[in-house]
Amino acid sequence: MRKIKENPIIKKIGINRIVLCGVLLLMYVIFCLLSETFTGMQRIMSALNYAYFLGFLSLGVTFVIATGGIDFSIGPVMFCSALISGYCLTHYGVPLALSLVISILVGVLFGIFNGYFVAYWTVPPFIISMASMNIAKGLASVFTKTQSVSWPQSADANGWYRNLVKVGNFPVGLVIFLVVAVLCSVLLNQTKAGRYILCLGSNKEAVRLSGVNVKKWEMLAYIICGALVGIAAIFFVAAYTTVQPGYGDQYNNEAIAGCVMGGTSMAGGLASISGTVIGVFIIALLQEGILALGFTKDYQLIITGIIVIVAVYADVATRRRKN
Amino acid sequence: MSDVILTMKDIDKSFPGVHALDHVNFEVKKGEVHALMGENGAGKSTLMKVLTGIYTKDSGTITYEGKEVEFHNTRDAQDAGIVIVHQELNMLGHLTVAQNIFIGREFKKGIGIDDKKMNEEAQKLFEKLHIDIDPTETMSNLTVGKQQMCEIAKAISHDAKVIIFDEPSAALTEAEIEELFKIIRDLRKQQLGIVYISHRMDEIKVITDRVTVMRDGCYVGTLVTSECTKDDIINMMVGRVIYEDPKTVSNVPKDAPVVLKVEHLNAGRMVQDVSFELRKGEILGFSGLMGAGRTETARAIFGADPKTSGDIYVNGQKVVINTPQDAVKCGIGYLSEDRKRFGIVVQKSVAENSTMASLENFVKGLFINKKEEKKVAQDYVNSLATKTPSTEQLVVNLSGGNQQKIVIAKWLVRNCDILIFDEPTRGIDVGAKNEIYKLMNRLAAEGKSVIMISSEMTEILRMSDRIIVMCEGKKTGEIDISEASQELIMNMATREIN
Amino acid sequence: MSKGVNAPAEKKTSIFSKPGSQKIIVLLVVVVLFVFFSVLSPNFRKYTTVLSIMDYSYYIALMAIGVTFPLITGGVDLSIGTGLICYSLAGGYLIVHCGWPTWAGMLVAVLFGVLIGTLNGVLVSVMNLPPFLATLCTCMITRGLGSICSKGFGISWPTSGAEGSWFRNVFKITIGDTKYPLGFLWVLLLVAIMAFVLNHTKIGRYTIAIGSNKEATILSGINVKFYHIMAYVISGFFAGLASIAYSAVFSTVQPGTGAGFELEAIGGAIIGGVSASGGAGSIGGSLLGVFVICLLKTGLPYIGLQANWQQIITGMVLIGAVMVDILKKKKTATV
Repeated sequence: MRKIKENPIIKKIGINRIVLCGVLLLMYVIFCLLSETFTGMQRIMSALNYAYFLGFLSLGVTFVIATGGIDFSIGPVMFCSALISGYCLTHYGVPLALSLVISILVGVLFGIFNGYFVAYWTVPPFIISMASMNIAKGLASVFTKTQSVSWPQSADANGWYRNLVKVGNFPVGLVIFLVVAVLCSVLLNQTKAGRYILCLGSNKEAVRLSGVNVKKWEMLAYIICGALVGIAAIFFVAAYTTVQPGYGDQYNNEAIAGCVMGGTSMAGGLASISGTVIGVFIIALLQEGILALGFTKDYQLIITGIIVIVAVYADVATRRRKN
Repeated sequence: MSDVILTMKDIDKSFPGVHALDHVNFEVKKGEVHALMGENGAGKSTLMKVLTGIYTKDSGTITYEGKEVEFHNTRDAQDAGIVIVHQELNMLGHLTVAQNIFIGREFKKGIGIDDKKMNEEAQKLFEKLHIDIDPTETMSNLTVGKQQMCEIAKAISHDAKVIIFDEPSAALTEAEIEELFKIIRDLRKQQLGIVYISHRMDEIKVITDRVTVMRDGCYVGTLVTSECTKDDIINMMVGRVIYEDPKTVSNVPKDAPVVLKVEHLNAGRMVQDVSFELRKGEILGFSGLMGAGRTETARAIFGADPKTSGDIYVNGQKVVINTPQDAVKCGIGYLSEDRKRFGIVVQKSVAENSTMASLENFVKGLFINKKEEKKVAQDYVNSLATKTPSTEQLVVNLSGGNQQKIVIAKWLVRNCDILIFDEPTRGIDVGAKNEIYKLMNRLAAEGKSVIMISSEMTEILRMSDRIIVMCEGKKTGEIDISEASQELIMNMATREIN
Repeated sequence: MSKGVNAPAEKKTSIFSKPGSQKIIVLLVVVVLFVFFSVLSPNFRKYTTVLSIMDYSYYIALMAIGVTFPLITGGVDLSIGTGLICYSLAGGYLIVHCGWPTWAGMLVAVLFGVLIGTLNGVLVSVMNLPPFLATLCTCMITRGLGSICSKGFGISWPTSGAEGSWFRNVFKITIGDTKYPLGFLWVLLLVAIMAFVLNHTKIGRYTIAIGSNKEATILSGINVKFYHIMAYVISGFFAGLASIAYSAVFSTVQPGTGAGFELEAIGGAIIGGVSASGGAGSIGGSLLGVFVICLLKTGLPYIGLQANWQQIITGMVLIGAVMVDILKKKKTATV
C-alpha cells in the first residue's frame, strides 16, 4: 500500500490534477453565486481571452522550469514581439502572415539569447532573465520609437488574425491552445528532446556522464519557451489590440504561478503540461471573477502571490519529506 | 596514574545490511600520537564518527577523562575537548583566517566586532603552534595545506584535549607535511592525545607512537610503532582468508589486441603521468587506497573532467576525448562510484534510465519508441536479475544494489566495448555482488574489455587478469594476476619515502 | 575524497583576487563615463544636470545598499521595486488623505518595508522557498497592496513650499540661490554605516558566512535562521528609506509602477562586485555600480540616444558584469 502511495509521481500528478479541476469548478460556482453577471458566455469568453496568451506563456516557462531554471523575461519579451511585429505591420507594410511569423521569431531570438548564456556560460537564470527583460523593453521602445502599436480591428482587411481567437462565438483560440498544449505534452513526454530536458532538470551531471550533450538540450528548452512566447504575443494582440512599450512584467508572475500550481516542480525534472493548463485557467478565472465582484486587479495580484507561495511551499515540503 | 585520556570499549555499530563496527576497542593516551589504520571500509571513519557524536553507537562504552560520556553532536564533543580535523574542510572561503577561527565566538568592541583583537589572538595562536600564516588573509586564497593548518589552529583554540586527524596529509606538499609534523610534535609535548588516521606507512613510522589496525569493522590489534615493521602492519591490515576463488591465471591470450592505450595522462595532482594498456577481453583491476587517483584517472579518460595532457588510443586510433559525449562515441562507458549523484536520474523510471546513454537508438522519427524501450529494459532486468516490480518503477525506490544494476544496464544497452567500473559493488549485498562478478566475466568472455576500480582486495584478486596499482596520482605497479598477492598490492599502494 | 586536492602547491593570485580591485575598476568606469558624456555634450556638464543625476540616484542607491545583504547570502530580493512604491503610497496616503504629519508617514513607510522584509526572510529562511520565487510573490503582493492603500490613485507627497514638505530638503537644500544635493551626504553616511555593519558586526559577518558556506556556518553553532532573515529585513528597511527618497524627488507616485527598479539596484550591486553566488560584495562597490547605471540612464539622452537605449545597455552591462564574475571564478578554479 505504501509502495503504491509513494509510487509514481504519475500518481501524484493524477491527484493534483483532480484537485485542481475541483478547485476550478468550485471557483466558477462560487463566482456565479456571488455575482449575477458571472453566468453566461460573456464572462467565460473574457476569461478565455486572458487565458490564451497567459497559457502560452505558462506552457513556455514550463519547459524552462523543467530544466531547473526560470525565465521572467517572458512578459516583456511577449510585448516586444507584439510591438516589433505590429510595427512592421502598421508602419512598414509587412503582410500580416509574415508579421505573425516575425512575432514568433523575436521570441525565439530571445530564447536563444537566454538559453545560450544559461547553458554555455552557467549564468544564473534569474540574472539573465533580468537582463533580457530590460533589453526586451528597451528594444521594443527603440523599434517603435516609444509609441504604442495597435493591431488591426476585426473589420479591417487584415483583421482575419482575430479569427485565431474566435469566430462568432466559437472559441477557436481554445481549440488552438489545447492543440498546442497537447503538442507540448507530446514533446515533453514522448520525444528525445523532452526526455533530455526533464532528465537534466532532475540530475544534470548524471545525464552528462551518460554521454549526452546537456548544454544543447538546456538551451533548447529556452528556445521552445521563446517560440511559445512569440505565439502568446499574437493571442494577446488578437484579444487586446494595443500594446505599449515598457510593460509586461505583471504577466510573468501569473504565468509562473499557473505553471507551479499545476504541479511542475521548481527544482526541475518534474513537469505537467495538463497541470499548467488547468493552473492557467484557474488564474484567468480568478482574474475575471475578482473583476466581476467589483474588486480591482490588485486583489487578484495579492491572491495569486499567496497561491504561488503556498504551491511552492507544498512542493518544497513534500520534497524535504521524501529526503 | 593513568595517562589514558580516552577509552572506547566494545563499540558496536550496525547499519542496514552491514556490521560496521564489531566490538572495537580503541584507546588514546595523553601526549601520544596514535595511528588508526585499515583499508577503505575497515571502519576507521565510522569509529571516529561514533566518538564525536555524528553516529550513535549500538553498544559499548566511551570513557573520557575518567568519566563515561556520550556525545550527541560535534558541538558537544568539541565543547568537551574532542575535535576532529576533517578531510573535507569546513571553512568559510570568503572570510579571513582569523574570522574563520573565531566564527561564532567573536570578540566584541562596543556594538561591533573587534577584528583587531581577533587578529592578535589568531597571531598568538599561530605563534604557539609555529605556523606562519597571516591571520588577515582571505581563506580561499590559501593553499589547501595552509587551510588545514587553520582548521588545526581552530581546533586548538577550542581547548582541545584530543585531536583526530582524518587523512591529514592527503592534500599536502612535502614541505607542508613537515610543518604539520612539527605542529603535531608540539601538541604531543603539550600532552594532547592525537589520533592520526592515515594509510601512509612511512608517515606512520615517523610521527606515531602506537598503531591500531582495524579490518572489516573489527579490531585487529595495537602495536608500538618503534617495535614493528611495515610488513607487520600490512599483515594485520590484510591478513584474511579469501573465501572466493582468486584468479590464478589470466584469461587473456598474450597476443590479444590492445583496445585502449593511455599515454602520459596528466590531470592535476591526482593523475600524474599515467600510462597503461587495456587488452581485448581483459579485466584490468585498478587497486590503490582512497585518494590514489584512480577515479580521477577514469574521469579524465572518460572526458568527465578536463585533462592537462595525455593521449588516448582506442583500437590503435588516436582519439580526442574532451567530453563524456566523445568518450561514449568511442565506445567507452563509465560507471561512476557515486551512483546516486552521477549514475541515475532519480525521478525517472527503470526503462528511462536504462536507455539514457543510447536514446538515439530508440527514436523513430521524432518519437521515442517506448514499447521497444520497455522491452529492452525488461530484457536487462531479467538478465541482471534486477529486483523491480516493473520497468516503470522509479529508480529512487530501488535498493542500492538494484540501482547499480540499472546503471550497468545503461552501458550494456549502449553496447560499449570498453567499460570502466568504478567501485561496482560498493554498498551491495553478497548475493548481488556475485551476480555482478559473473556478469563481468561474461562480458570479458564476449570480447568486451573492463577496467575495474576497486578498493576491495578480494574483488581485485578474484576478478582481475592484470592489476594496476596507483598511489598519490602515480602508477606504482603493474602485476599479472599470476604473481599477485595482497601484500604485494598493499606495498605498492602505500607510499614510500626515498 | 579530499576537497581541493587538485589545488596547486601555490595558489595563483590574479589581479582579481586582490580585495577591492573590482571597486577601483568600477570607479574608473564611473569617471570614464562621466568624462565621456561631459566631453560629448556641453549640456551634460551643467551643474543642474549633476543635481538631476543625484536626485534620481538616491532611491536606487538606497535600494542597492539594502539588497546587497540578501545578495551576499546567495539570494535576492525582487520585491524592493514594487515594494518601494507600495510603502510610498501607504505613507503618502496617510499624509495627504488622513492628515498625518509627514514624519509619521515616513515612519509608516519604513516600518512597512521592515514588515515585508521580515516576511521575505521567513519565506526564504524558515520555509526554504527559493529566494527569487518568494520575493517575486511578495513583489506581486506589494504591487496589489500599494494600489489598494492608495485606492488606486497616484499620491503626491507634500510639494516644496507646502506644509510638511521639509522632508524634501533632506535631499536637496536651497541656500541662497543654489541648490545643494544634500541627499548625497546622507547616502554616503548610510554607505559608511552599512559598510561598518557588513564588515564589523555580527549581522554582517554572519551574512557573509551564510553566503560563503551555509552548512559550515550552521555547524559553527550560529543561529543561521535568524541572521538569514535579518538580511532580508535590512533589504526591506532600505526599500522603505528608498520610498521616501523617491517621494522626495518625484512629484507623484503612481500605483502599478516600480517593476524594474530592482533591476537597477541589483544590477548596480553586481556591477559593483557582489557575486551572484554569494559570499562576496561591498556596500561601496554597490554604490559605485549604481552610479554606473545612473550615469548611463541620464547620460545617454544627452548624446542623442533615447532613454530606452539605456534599458538595453543596462541589460548588457549586467550580463557583462556577471560574465566577469564567472570568468573570475573559472580562472581561480584550477585543474
